[in-house]
Amino acid sequence: MTTVAVDAGGADAGPREVAAGAIDAARQGIKVKLFGSAEEIGPVGEGIEVIDAPVSIAKVADPVAAVREQPDASIVQAARSVASGEADALVSGGSTGAVLAAGVLHIRRQRGVHRPALAILVPIPGAPVLLLDVGASSESRPERLVQHAHIGAAFSEVVLGIERPRVALLSNGEEASRGTPEVIAAHQILSAGTGIDFVGNVEGLGIATGEADVVVTDGFTGNVALKLMEGVSSAVIGAVRAAAASDARAAAGALLMKPALSGLRDQLDPEQHGGAYLLGLRSVVIVPHGRFGRRGIAKAIELAASASDADVAGRTHSALEAAGALRSSE
Amino acid sequence: MERQEILEVVRTHLVEELDVEPDEVVETTNFREDLEADSLDLYTLLQELEDRFGMKLTDQQAAEIETVGQAIDAVEKYATGDSEQGP
Repeated sequence: MTTVAVDAGGADAGPREVAAGAIDAARQGIKVKLFGSAEEIGPVGEGIEVIDAPVSIAKVADPVAAVREQPDASIVQAARSVASGEADALVSGGSTGAVLAAGVLHIRRQRGVHRPALAILVPIPGAPVLLLDVGASSESRPERLVQHAHIGAAFSEVVLGIERPRVALLSNGEEASRGTPEVIAAHQILSAGTGIDFVGNVEGLGIATGEADVVVTDGFTGNVALKLMEGVSSAVIGAVRAAAASDARAAAGALLMKPALSGLRDQLDPEQHGGAYLLGLRSVVIVPHGRFGRRGIAKAIELAASASDADVAGRTHSALEAAGALRSSE
Repeated sequence: MERQEILEVVRTHLVEELDVEPDEVVETTNFREDLEADSLDLYTLLQELEDRFGMKLTDQQAAEIETVGQAIDAVEKYATGDSEQGP
């Protein structure tokens, strides 16, 4: 039976809400080791072991130092339980920097992987797109972009069930000659035939138009793109709501549209996808948004369990090895 | 393993990971001051050395390593020669 280590510290909703999500996941047959303040977590049901870890790491300038200096912190203990084999996967809604640091220091990168990538499913209705890296590393290197292309393709295939996912590089033009020197170099490598379905460059607009299933970029650009999409989405939804409430006729129209829109809302709901995925480590790590409630946390735990059962880490490494995309010194 | 061989492993890793020139990596090179490496870069190197040379550093031992020469010293002192296999 798969065991998921869940860090209950640091989430905006608090340890009790994280525990509620863990309870929902445990009802699906997933074993959970829940790390956080036992007093705040409260009583839990069967299938959940609570490890009292009241110290949590907030957003700090040097998360690596924080992880090293606070071995009793909930995220550190949770990561170490995965590293020791007591748990199979990690879920943490706390500081992304702390999760990354704890993941790299304790769970460790897969052999031959330059840097892990933070990936997120952009909720495009009907065809969600995996975008990575959205913030694990701010630097751009051709070999990292190439590896992340393979890692994204493997995750998309194994976890999302997309057969031979189309992979693209994010650039400022579709032509192979467009982009930063790193993007151009990565394009040349991927175009030479690497075992994945590389469809070339997409512009920012192309993330939402179904041209690719996986879009690869460096962590700085990915993070800016992600936050921009979230901000615009929030502003548009707010404007639509305001318009729907502007007068009686609009309110009546909104009521008529409600059944049709409810399905769309589910597709756009980030909690449906469990959060962001930290890929390239030796075990699965899922990072639900800090604002997620019990539903999003439960979804993240379920996703972590299924990804671990499917041996995403091992299959990703095999795919990288087969493509000759591992670091040359490994 | 000879000290020069360990230096080559460190140099190869740093050239690839930090995009520096090989001649920038000598025993007196300071990771942070000379190569602008951050904590994650440094720990990634140390994990590479642990896997390659079969050793395990404590957090305290890792925190004391600031130069390439000190990293090589650590390998000479703690390595068992059993490299790790698998992903």
